[in-house]
Amino acid sequence: MNSIMYDTYTIFWRELKRYKKSRSGVLIRLIQPAIWIIVVGNIFSETQPLIQSVGFEGEYIEFMAPGVIILTAIFTSIFGGVNTLWDRRYGFMNKALTSPISRSAIALGKMASISLIAALQASLIIGIALAIGVTFPNPLMIIPIMGIVILFSLGFSGISVSLAATAKSQETFWGMINLLGMPLFMLSPALFPLELLPNWLAVIAKLNPVTYTVLLVRELMTGVSEGGVPIWISIVVLFAFVITMVAITSYVFTREVNKPF
Amino acid sequence: MPEGIELLYSIETKSLTKSFGDLVAVNDVSFSVKKGEIFGFLGPNGAGKSTTMMIFTTLLKPTSGKALIAGFDVMKDAKHVRENIGFVQQETTVDEYLTGRENLLLQSKLNHIPKNEINKRIDEVLDLIELSDKQHQAVVTYSGGMRKRLDIAGGLLHHPKVLFLDEPTVGLDIQTRRKIWQYIKKIHTEFDMTIFLTTHYMEEADNLCDRIGIIDGGKIQVIDSPENMKNALGNEIISLVVENNSNHDLFLAELKKIEFIKKINEENLKLILFTSNGTEVIPKIFQISSDLGIKIVTLSLTQPTLDDVFISYTGHEIRDDKSKFNRKIEHAKMKRLRA
Repeated sequence: MNSIMYDTYTIFWRELKRYKKSRSGVLIRLIQPAIWIIVVGNIFSETQPLIQSVGFEGEYIEFMAPGVIILTAIFTSIFGGVNTLWDRRYGFMNKALTSPISRSAIALGKMASISLIAALQASLIIGIALAIGVTFPNPLMIIPIMGIVILFSLGFSGISVSLAATAKSQETFWGMINLLGMPLFMLSPALFPLELLPNWLAVIAKLNPVTYTVLLVRELMTGVSEGGVPIWISIVVLFAFVITMVAITSYVFTREVNKPF
Repeated sequence: MPEGIELLYSIETKSLTKSFGDLVAVNDVSFSVKKGEIFGFLGPNGAGKSTTMMIFTTLLKPTSGKALIAGFDVMKDAKHVRENIGFVQQETTVDEYLTGRENLLLQSKLNHIPKNEINKRIDEVLDLIELSDKQHQAVVTYSGGMRKRLDIAGGLLHHPKVLFLDEPTVGLDIQTRRKIWQYIKKIHTEFDMTIFLTTHYMEEADNLCDRIGIIDGGKIQVIDSPENMKNALGNEIISLVVENNSNHDLFLAELKKIEFIKKINEENLKLILFTSNGTEVIPKIFQISSDLGIKIVTLSLTQPTLDDVFISYTGHEIRDDKSKFNRKIEHAKMKRLRA
């Protein structure tokens, strides 16, 4: 167990070193969520009466800010696994596989680093949100929100790392990512309240772990609980999601990297 | 493996076989590499060199048969195998954005080198490959040869018992290649490791290896020292071109009587004589030719190279593709590549 922690940290350290040296990417990856919060936040500002009908008092942009924080987390973590493909192509993976470190630790180290990077990106988006006038009734809530973003991204990055380990080409990987990323974001209350979704969509949304994470962050940020989901259920769902993803990813990754590339 | 017992062999294989569908990449291969040896594995592309090395380094599981590395079974005891091997891949695998030292630090951690040892080990290998002065520069600024040296250094940090080098000098210029050979020899004497390398270059195998195995079509064709292999062909080759003459057949018959000549290959008027004592044979050739009135146009005496050995065992020179296109095999390969 001790050695798994050490190995995970080794990979985590390597991934963060690489991230630090490619800083130009940080800003590029901020553009998309910034556009969402600034453009979509203003385009839909007239929908305030709709938002108010489900008991939310503030501006639309304040309603959707938690959604954009999670959007940042979703996309940072779902793209994050792509370097697994490069590692396999350029030999780092073989180097790691022929050293005594455990296979699961490679996957876990990657997931941990992606989740930290996602949290960093999300915190920059929170900064943008504050700059354009979104207010936090209780600024201390940023701490648990970051905790939730880290946990959620840890689970979500598992999807990316598993897909990258399974896909043998960039094309397959990006195809799968596009197939998954946007629908998971849209099928959640990130942009609109659950109550306003048609029934059949609401049912699908309730199967989506993104939904519970958005509800949690929104409740912490604005103090409004929404969708009739108690906060403890959201927390349980989030933890269950993370644990499941860690287990699935360790298994899939170990199985896939033992096959020839 | 019980402690304290000296291993005689660092690598032992018995009937090692690996197939991908219909394609048998490694076919019933059995051989051993002695402790402390530099063993070269030679063969054309697709001969099974890389597959064999991937089995030895636990990246692939054999279909059947057995391989022991440093006394540990690659199937049953992969973890111990990994602790005892260094693997330097064909392509350079160092992280370009990290510095040389950071790359070695990463490699130390991957190999579980105790924390208080890490710095000492890194200094030791940096000194050995003469990169100490560049250690704090990002690898992206390194030349191809420096990257390769750093890669090799990474494989030494944990003092493995067996070092695997996959085509260590492919893509490097002649000077760099010779430099890398020097490093490999230095490593071999200073660390007393067994080194197993694959190569395309006969000169490399000749220069570095105690013994060579030639593999073709997934099977080992021959294993011997480079010297013995060359001697088996006779140690000298005389090529001569003569003018056309009615006594030509008589000339050949007389040549065959010379005791040192082992074999004569004939292409029109060009004769290639494999011989063991060329300097004594040449005057005899002149004697016979002047007796028969045959005019010799050119004559040269050369030593057989490993290239000649290689061709005599595989029937073809090292080259990229198999001559026959087999739809089934190509299809199987494509299937493996597909996602």
